[in-house]
This record gives sequence, structure tokens and C-alpha cells, in this order.
Amino acid sequence: MNEKARRLLIPDGVRDLLPGFAGPKREMENRIQEVFGRWGYREVATPAFEYSAVFDGDANGEQEGKVYRFLDERGRTMALRPDFTSPLARVAVTHLSNEPKPLRLCYGGNVYRHASGQQGRQREMAQAGVELIGSGCAGSDAEIIALAVDVLRALKLDDFTLCLGHVGFLQAVLDAHGVTGIAGERINHFFNRKDFVSLKELSSELQLPAFSRESILRLPTLRGGREVLAEADVLLPPGTDRGSLATLDEIWQVLEDYGVSRFITFDLGLVRALDYYTGMVFEGYTGGLGFPLCGGGRYDRLLGHFGQNSPAVGFAINTDHLLLVQQRLKKLPPSPALLFAAYNEKARAEAIARAQELRDSGLAVIIDTKARASGEARDEAGQRGASLLLYFDESGCSQTDLAGEASSDVCQ
Amino acid sequence: MSANDWLTIALAKGRILPPTLELLERAGIGCGRLREKTRKLVFSLDEVKLRFIMAKPADIPTYVEYGTADLGIVGKDILLEEERELYELLDLKLGYCRLVVAQKIGSGPFAGGYVATKYPRSTERHFQQRGKQFEVIKLHGSIELAPLLNLADVIVDLVSTGRTLKDNNLEEVETVAHVTSRLVANPGSYQVKGARVAWLVGVLEKAVDSEVTLC
Repeated sequence: MNEKARRLLIPDGVRDLLPGFAGPKREMENRIQEVFGRWGYREVATPAFEYSAVFDGDANGEQEGKVYRFLDERGRTMALRPDFTSPLARVAVTHLSNEPKPLRLCYGGNVYRHASGQQGRQREMAQAGVELIGSGCAGSDAEIIALAVDVLRALKLDDFTLCLGHVGFLQAVLDAHGVTGIAGERINHFFNRKDFVSLKELSSELQLPAFSRESILRLPTLRGGREVLAEADVLLPPGTDRGSLATLDEIWQVLEDYGVSRFITFDLGLVRALDYYTGMVFEGYTGGLGFPLCGGGRYDRLLGHFGQNSPAVGFAINTDHLLLVQQRLKKLPPSPALLFAAYNEKARAEAIARAQELRDSGLAVIIDTKARASGEARDEAGQRGASLLLYFDESGCSQTDLAGEASSDVCQ
Repeated sequence: MSANDWLTIALAKGRILPPTLELLERAGIGCGRLREKTRKLVFSLDEVKLRFIMAKPADIPTYVEYGTADLGIVGKDILLEEERELYELLDLKLGYCRLVVAQKIGSGPFAGGYVATKYPRSTERHFQQRGKQFEVIKLHGSIELAPLLNLADVIVDLVSTGRTLKDNNLEEVETVAHVTSRLVANPGSYQVKGARVAWLVGVLEKAVDSEVTLC
């Protein structure tokens, strides 16, 4: 295809949001930021691209090769942000390093990742999220999860589940059974993808003792309420580190106090990127949607990359996925009623004055661009999708209802 | 939450359907109605709250990824080719065959060249990992023709008995993958309908294991 033919196209993995979607999306993003604000999180905005080195310790190390990089005019390597966590960590250790901890920060904007070879994957995605930096306790883990629940509920979703796990648990199991190195990484990879078939094959391949094999294979099946933690306890040989289970239990108790524990399912096979997360991890799902609505966890090592060791926990929500769900559930807000103000040659000033008053009172009004006869004005209003026509002439204002609903008098 | 009781499962029409239905029946899911020769593509079993969709095998990952079906039963060859983000829950050990590299008998080791296949992505992955130079020629059927007519040096295709290869004077030289039917899940369904999915995995796993001991 030549360049000229591309003029009317957009690349795979990006999209135009048309009327009916762009507005509701912005509204949804505003509502999300509002909730973040009510929890005391302060918004920061960072550049869409910055030095590539910022992302070296990123979760997207996991997705290596997925960062868009380019050289600037001085030959320096730049990267389009693949997420916000690293930029926020950079902000925390530079501009905000003297602020008392913990820091509560939030953000919203687009992130960019290569999606080559994958069908239907977006290369530009809208995210909103929070980071709680400088606190390592279970209370802050729970705060992040409860906040995620609050956001999803503010968006009128109620059929969702947050799966909660802890990377330390799989690590403890692998350590206890002496599985290390590449075998451990592969097991982690299969857990991450929930590829239970490969996991089973690998465990036979590794010729683990029956007890180890059983315990590693049972792990991903451990899902459910708090009772799962007790079941998991059995899988760990005596003397292994049970810190992860204790932390999860503590988080659960705090979430009980928040009144949101019913949204939580423990999934001890949930690991996400093991070399990045250091504690609890979670993902939010709703029925039928094949990708998580939101996800996050504790990443206590990331700030170390920026020269300041500090615990941190956060989550991000994918607003594009949310929009898709809202659309499917038919929960997108309807466009507001639109008024159309038309006039004849004598009454333009009156029309403009009244229309502006109505706009100031919060209504949406289109003012016609030229004078027309009233019959023609009616057609014009209909084509613009207006529900109400206001027509101004020497005798004043007359109102015609176009949507078939009784409406109050807005002429005066 | 009542809608969460129902599970929708996409099944592949064709060769693999009869053994799939046998397996479901061994698992206690009476799906005899699915054997009826009708053009219906959706079946509901109210007693066990299961709904079945009949689809073309290559479309099953799509139905499951988009959540039209919560789960699907599909060959590993298609999963490898489609590269979707689905959870692979269980090997149903049905329809065993292999994806192999084959060439004309006696044509010596493949150093590189043209590869004809229905599976371009799996083929690319296979030869890339081996550092071979190659070009993929995508065909939709009768792949065996390609080396005979000098369209390609080798082919990558599914074999079960090897009969078709032999009949066409071809021999298998490398295995790309072992293929059986797998139970796959949409990640959202897997999480939100966790208990139902676990039930299904449980009964199917038992049915699979009982089959294996019989052999």
C-alpha cells in the first residue's frame, strides 16, 4: 500500500473514539479520578515519552521488547511510557523526595506497548491508577484493594471479582521443594498464563518427588474464600516461610473492616510478573471479559532502581476495557438532551442571548448559523438530533418538541 | 448472580465431535441430543446448566477470548497457531496427532527454503528457533502436494497415522508439537465462575483418567 492510500486509515492497535464513546469515556475517567481524590490521592501528570532508562526496572521488563523506543535529535534513547509506575517512582524520588511518607499519588492517561502478532491487542491503552509509596504494611495493601473495589462500584459495576494472591507463596513452595533456576522460572511462567497442561507436563519432566509434584500442581486449584489459606498451609512443608499466608490473612481482615471482602477470591496461583512484584498481587475480572479490568500489587524493589529503597503498592485500571464492559452492559450514559435555537432575520440577537442563558444554566444548545424560516428550521433541528426547537422571530420565542416527550417551557 | 450458574462451552464440529461427546457423557453430562443430525448450533442442557455452541475448530479460541463462550474444547494445533490469551486447564487426550515437518523421502536434511503449511505461525516459530532460513507458503489443504510439485521443499502438517504422507512418498523428519484436544477458559469466566469451572474440570479430569486406565 502506498503512503497516500494510508491517509484515511489508522494502524492496528489504536482507535478513534467517536461521539457516544469519547464523551462517556472522559466522564468515566473523571469519575475514577474523583474517587482517587476522595481517598486522598493527588494527581500527577508525567510526559508521554521520556528517557528509556526510566523503564529499565519496569514491570514491562516482563514484556521486554514491548516498549516503543526511538532516538531523539541528539541520539538519546527515548521510550513511550509502557505504564505509569516507573515515571511515578521517578517523581517520588526526585520532586517529592522531601515530602513525608507515605505518598498517595494517582494518574490517568495513555500507555503504549508493542502488540505485534497478537490479534485484537491494543497498542495504545488508557489507564488510570494509584501508587501508595512508602508504606509496607498489610493495611496499605488492603487500602489499594478496597480503593479498586470502590472505583468499580462507583462505575456501577457489581458483578466482578478481585482475585488475590501473593508472589511469595509460589516462591516458598518452589524453595521448599528445591525447584530453582530455569525450572522455577518456567513454572512461574505457566502459573502466570494458567497453562495447567504445560505445568503438569513440566512437573513430570522434572521428576520431582510425588509430594512436591502434588503440592505444586494443587496450588493453582486453591481458590476461594479465607478457608483457602488454611488449605494452603498444608501444602507447605514444616519449617517453610509462611509469611505470605500471614500477610494475606491480615489483608483479608482489614478488607472485612472495609466491608468489601465479598468481592475477593483468593487465587494462590496468581503470580503476575514474579521478578517485579514482591508481595500481594491482584487482578479484577468480570464475567466474559477475557482480560483483567484492573490489576496491581506490591513492588518493593522498584524504587531501589531510582536510588531510594522504599516499599510501594499500587494498581491500574484499564479504562478501555471498562468502556467495553459498560457498552456491553448498556451502561453508557445517554447523551444529554440537545436544544436547537433558530431565528429569522430580525431575531438573531434574542436567540443568541436566550441560548447563552440556557447554556449557562447547564443545558446543551446549538445556535443556528444563519436565519431560516420556521419550517426549514424544524428540519434543520431534526437533522442535528435536537429534542427541542426554539424558534425566535418578531413575536418572540416559540418552542417545538421534537422527541415526543413533554418538556418544560424553556423559552422564558 | 444467577447468570453465573450457566456455563457456555464451544465445541468443535467435525471429526473430533464424537469422541468429545463420549468424554462428556463419561463425565456424567448427558449430551446425546448433540448427536442429532440437525442444523442447530446451540444446545442447552437445563439439568446441568450447560450451553453448547457448535463452531468451526479454528473459531473456538475467538469465541472463548471474546467471552461468547466461557470455555472451549479445541486442538492444541489451533491454540499454538492462534496465540490467544486463554487459560489451558486440561489435556483431554482426545484426537491425538502430531504437527510434523515432512519432506520427500530421501531428500536429505532440510537446510532452508520454502515451507508449505496451514500453520504459518507455528512453522515460523519452529524454524526460527532452529536458526533456519525459510519462507512460509500458506496453503489451505492438500499440503502434501506442495513438495511433489516442487512448490515447497518441506511441509508442516498434522499427521495421525502417517498414512497420507506415505501414500504421497513423504517422510516425517521433525516433530513440531504433540497435539490433543484441550479445555480452555476465558480468564474472566475462569475467575468469576470459579466454582462452576472447577466442577467441570473435576468431572472431565476423572473421565479422562478413567479412559487412560482402560487403555
